[in-house]
Amino acid sequence: MYKLTLINAMKKEPKTVIEVAKVLAPIVGSRDVVDLLKAPIIKSDSRIVVLDFSYVEFISRSAAHELLLIKEELHQKDKELSFENVNKDITEMLRVVAANRALPKTEKPQFKAEKTDINSLREELPV
Amino acid sequence: MRNVIVPQIKSSSLVGQLKSLYETLKDAKPNEDLNFDLNQLSFACPLLILPLCSYLNTTKSEFVISKDSKIKSYLDVINFPKGITSVSSFHQKIQKDKNYIPISVLTREGVVGRERLESLFATMVYKAIDVSGIEGVSNAIYYPIGELITNIFEHSKENQGFIFGQFYPKKEWLDICIVDRGRGLAAAYQQEKNLNLSDGDAIAEVMKGNSTKPDKERGYGVRTSKRVVCEALGGEFTIISGSSALVVSKDKEKLVSLPNFHWQGVIIAYKIPKPKHPIDIFPYLE
Repeated sequence: MYKLTLINAMKKEPKTVIEVAKVLAPIVGSRDVVDLLKAPIIKSDSRIVVLDFSYVEFISRSAAHELLLIKEELHQKDKELSFENVNKDITEMLRVVAANRALPKTEKPQFKAEKTDINSLREELPV
Repeated sequence: MRNVIVPQIKSSSLVGQLKSLYETLKDAKPNEDLNFDLNQLSFACPLLILPLCSYLNTTKSEFVISKDSKIKSYLDVINFPKGITSVSSFHQKIQKDKNYIPISVLTREGVVGRERLESLFATMVYKAIDVSGIEGVSNAIYYPIGELITNIFEHSKENQGFIFGQFYPKKEWLDICIVDRGRGLAAAYQQEKNLNLSDGDAIAEVMKGNSTKPDKERGYGVRTSKRVVCEALGGEFTIISGSSALVVSKDKEKLVSLPNFHWQGVIIAYKIPKPKHPIDIFPYLE
């Protein structure tokens, strides 16, 4: 499932490559499933760990957030986590989450729902 | 065991489905064992069928339906009430009945199996609406499914969740429902943040993005999913917990009290029209 390959010929530094679609699924939706990647990443002897996103179609925002947390944790341990073969939608999801981590929005969302009871609701569209 | 006649659904709108669910389960005591009589139903919809499925799976309740019922064959095809619990069973089911997506039961244990079943479910929903080639639609289908299922296993303290979807080719509508029978929203705030909230106030906290988790970056899943459904896809969205529901359609939001009704856990359902144009979900993720 995990393969150790010498793919960085320039630096001659071994990398651990983890194929996300094989380990998890083509759509990575759940936050807790990303935790399954954490153990082999942390245990890896290589300083560089590559998550290969070939055949991964989409990741949720929660999954992207969890991946970035792991990346930061690894960085603090002087290890590097990189994402390869990432499609443009996954790239954008990672960018949105990273931007939110770097510059969190201070404005709180508004919630101004009208209060009513079930018997007052009309069944037709719109609400 | 008390007999409950499940009433005919008057409208397939989300509100119509909510009213049918309300009429079915109002006056039920918490986890009361019930005998559901489904013979009056001439059609079924996810917001009614999936909560009943989860209720049947988590209580000793039973149901009756005659062989002559109009929906008997449909309920068999979608595997009501047991649902599908594995990728291999899901594949077998959809090879046999290509036009229907079966009810899926996701469990906390066996995380990878659950993720693959969720992934397969989402892919089948996307294929069912038949919009390949319209940019961004797959993201809009996958995003709420992923975030809302994540919430079950992050917050409900329950070990299983239920998901079901139905696309109506003639009406060009997609209905999705996601259900858990966990502790519910008010109990989550009470247990994690020591906040005593009504069911309605707990829903309001969720929609304001106030997570039960200490991490400040959490709490966006339901709100951003609602935005993708209602603003990006032009659909309707509801979340039900305890004795309250929020019903949203585009810019209209109604917090609805459900007297003499209590759902133990959380129900989320949404209805979207078949997308006709490219969709960019990212502006709605905040």
